Amino acid sequence: MSIKNIVDNWSKYRKGVEEGGHHDYEHRWTMSINLDQCVGCNACSTACYAENNLATVGKEKFEAGQAMHWMRIERYWDKPESEYPEDGASFIPMMCQQCGAATCEPVCPVVATYHTPDGLNAQVYNRCVGSRYCGTNCPFKVRYFNFYSYPETAWPEPLNHQLNPDITVRDKGVMEKCTFCVQRIKAVKNTAKMEDRDVVDGEVVPACVQACPSSAIVFGDTMDESSQVAGLWKEHEVKRQVTEQEKSDPNKRGYRIFEELGVDPSVMYLERMRDTDI
Amino acid sequence: MKLLGVTGASGALIGCDAPSMVNLEEGKEHVVSYLLPAEDMVPGLGVWYASMCLQCSAGCGVHGRVREGRPLKLEGNPESPINAGKSCQMGQAGLQAHYNPDRITQPLLRKKGQLVPSSWEEAFELISEHVGTNSDAKADRTAWFTGTVSGHQRVLLQHHLQALNSTHHYAYEVVNTAVLSAVNKAMFADESPKLRLDKAELILSFGADFLGTWLSPVHFAGQFSKFRALPNRGSLIQVESKMSLTGANADLWVAAPPGSEGLLALGIANYLLRHGKPEIAQDVPQEIVDFVERYDARKVAETTGVEYDLLRRIAKALESRSPSLVLAGAAVEGQEEGYAAVAAVQLLNLILGNIGKTIVPSMEFPLPQLQVKNGSTADLLAFSQAVAEKKLDVVFFHGANPLFNAPESLNLEQNLKNNVALKVALAQFPDETAMQADVVLPLSSHLEDWGTHVASYQPSGSVLGFQQPLMEPLHSETRGLGDVMLDLLKMIRPEEYSAFEDYYAYLRNAVAGIQGQVADPLQSAQAFWQKTLSSGQIQMEGGEKNFSIEVHLADPLMSVTNESYPLMLVPSPRLGLFDGRHANLPWLQESPDQITKVVWDSWAELHPSTAEDMGIGHGDVIKVASESGSFEVKAYLTKSVHKNVVAVPLGQGHTSYGRYAEGVGVNPLTVLDLKQEKVTGELAMYATAVKLEKRGTTGTLVRMGGTDSQQGRQFVRTVPTYKPQGV
Repeated sequence: MSIKNIVDNWSKYRKGVEEGGHHDYEHRWTMSINLDQCVGCNACSTACYAENNLATVGKEKFEAGQAMHWMRIERYWDKPESEYPEDGASFIPMMCQQCGAATCEPVCPVVATYHTPDGLNAQVYNRCVGSRYCGTNCPFKVRYFNFYSYPETAWPEPLNHQLNPDITVRDKGVMEKCTFCVQRIKAVKNTAKMEDRDVVDGEVVPACVQACPSSAIVFGDTMDESSQVAGLWKEHEVKRQVTEQEKSDPNKRGYRIFEELGVDPSVMYLERMRDTDI
Repeated sequence: MKLLGVTGASGALIGCDAPSMVNLEEGKEHVVSYLLPAEDMVPGLGVWYASMCLQCSAGCGVHGRVREGRPLKLEGNPESPINAGKSCQMGQAGLQAHYNPDRITQPLLRKKGQLVPSSWEEAFELISEHVGTNSDAKADRTAWFTGTVSGHQRVLLQHHLQALNSTHHYAYEVVNTAVLSAVNKAMFADESPKLRLDKAELILSFGADFLGTWLSPVHFAGQFSKFRALPNRGSLIQVESKMSLTGANADLWVAAPPGSEGLLALGIANYLLRHGKPEIAQDVPQEIVDFVERYDARKVAETTGVEYDLLRRIAKALESRSPSLVLAGAAVEGQEEGYAAVAAVQLLNLILGNIGKTIVPSMEFPLPQLQVKNGSTADLLAFSQAVAEKKLDVVFFHGANPLFNAPESLNLEQNLKNNVALKVALAQFPDETAMQADVVLPLSSHLEDWGTHVASYQPSGSVLGFQQPLMEPLHSETRGLGDVMLDLLKMIRPEEYSAFEDYYAYLRNAVAGIQGQVADPLQSAQAFWQKTLSSGQIQMEGGEKNFSIEVHLADPLMSVTNESYPLMLVPSPRLGLFDGRHANLPWLQESPDQITKVVWDSWAELHPSTAEDMGIGHGDVIKVASESGSFEVKAYLTKSVHKNVVAVPLGQGHTSYGRYAEGVGVNPLTVLDLKQEKVTGELAMYATAVKLEKRGTTGTLVRMGGTDSQQGRQFVRTVPTYKPQGV
């Protein structure tokens, strides 16, 4: 994708969700996260650190909100008035939702963040000038800015030997975020292309999905209607490009966060359940 | 192209026999030959090898992705019946233990009181003076002090002790299930029966953090996922004093004071036998009925402070959903009456008819010499006593760090210094114990070493996990654990062990021996070896054990606080830093605690109403004092602890463990009172009463997220359990 193409076709890339999105997609990488099976253990998050060369920033910078956890587990207490939290905690894995009509994209002054034919919000690190408009505009707060040059501090020899050579190490002044493990997607697509076939469902496994001990996350291509993730979206009656879902049955537990903002997230969550009969 | 740290002879390495690897001199740049590249050395191509995770003793299998001779990522081994391709964050962070910048890279010797760099020759010379053939080593005066150990490392360790006429092998783990094993052995004749969470309709867990730190968390998380699956979703009731990760996932979380669990189990049993369906009481022997009759549910509620209505609700749920599964965790065990309390919990399983349904017999491990020796705290106490009584001259340490996580009142550091002539630490990191040793032998990481391991909890049959190196040693002076043990043995019994050039040769020989017993005899030795390496395990045949039920009826009593020490201390293990062994891994330090979301710190969890009574605010610095000692820590106010407790996580408070661990937080284990569980002699870890004193208001706790409430935004939506029509 050349920058000329993007600039020339700017209006096409700025179309909102109500206009039916803006791409002739090749793939539509999508997730489903079952919050009734997510146990909040952080395995996904650490797997992400390992896969994606995420820097640890230390206590002071963490306090300043500069942690680089592309995938984080948020924890909420839902009944502040009760004496004890009787139904436990509410956990939710939160990462870039790869929105179909992403609010981060149109505000980038240099088109460093753009929409790929795979339905991903890509971040071109080399193009990024660090305006941080995208981070400000993201309702999920899942974009992480390199305020410091972490390569100098985060991986003292020989920790740097672990760095994944399939992706870069980002330096000061660059915005970064979850990519749905684009390097793994690329590798699988290349293999499929060389073997002259389509990508098979289940072939692409992002690091978080692979680690998840309770298999709460399902990843795949919703353009492949036979894929597991497409089946789940269908089963739970969650549609894309809408700001409100119409459900035939309240037991269809799928929902998307902030879809009322018209951002068209690519991540569907399944409601957490609690047994109220005990 | 620079190949990083690949040095030395290319022997048997990386999952294949002697691929002709390019030999490289350290620090020099070389071009890799494209004509005949070794299979793990094709630039740009990742190759996967099976090995094992040793970050805890659950024994998960891993696949390591190796590129240009370096492991870059670990994933679960899908073939492993333990973790089935999954992994936890501690396993993921195994890479940072391997590449840790604070590893010990050369042997150290204590000279004039200081540890100074030395050589293997010099180190072995000194060891040989004490325990070599020509030494005057006396019988029973040498000991090994380790963590949980199994497989061929255990065999060599036993041989080493035998060669020295000693029997002293102490295995120490802070996070263990020793009391539970003892009860299981007595009640079912099976120390570690299989638990079928996936078959249960209801799980009642008394503080068993099976999703976090209990037995085999990744395995249980997999089972839990099936347990929670629709259409017949199981429900979890967790009763504990400090919310664990498992408790955070409960359908009903009940706060109970530590040590009340046994009573609560009996109170619930009492309700079931009195008011439950007649079928429940029908098969229960009169002896049990009479015993349970003494624990009137209302009285239990009064004694424990847990509402009677909650007991009734739990009993009703157990009555209507079968099979169920009742579990007893660390806080149940860690009492002076821990054995009786665990027995009471198992009694509930018996009454509910869960034995044989959700608690089923495990397999006999066919090679008992390889069987796991699980660590316990009783071994720490026995060791400490032996040291205090000057019964040991030489101690070898490996895989345990008692000078970090033993209670201070044992005075272990001083006693070791004065009473043990030679302390040898086989260590990867400069931890507190290694730094007090006389000889420190630098070990390979688990990604550079060979080994066989038997998991503490075997969920399916009998599996011998196989660990193989994923890379050549990063530091040329480090050696594998098995290699060092063989060298120690050669020192005493050269005639028996000189046939084995190294541990790899020893293991190849051993695996060939195992093949005769367990595998398809048609396979060649080479094929069997390759299969073992590529699958990362040997699945063995073993007969199923038989349960023989013997009921143990004992009265559990609650630990009590007093006016001077009004709160109970709950030293809580965390999935992540665990017992402190992972505090030097920055990924895990920066990974927020699952419940409090605090990073890079220690804290004391206090219920807001308790804190208010004491005038303590969130983040205030408080002094936590027991009869045995005190420490200062910041208060974290949360409703996820019982009002009568203060919970402080394990893991921090290292004085020596590298740059990421040192000077961070506090270690609550140091102030434990030396109370013992009465039957097993385990340290009663959850029976220390403490008092709090506010010291200042200056603390800040760094944590993820600015709010505990969703502020109505409905990120996490909760609905009642969906029940399909007609069910």
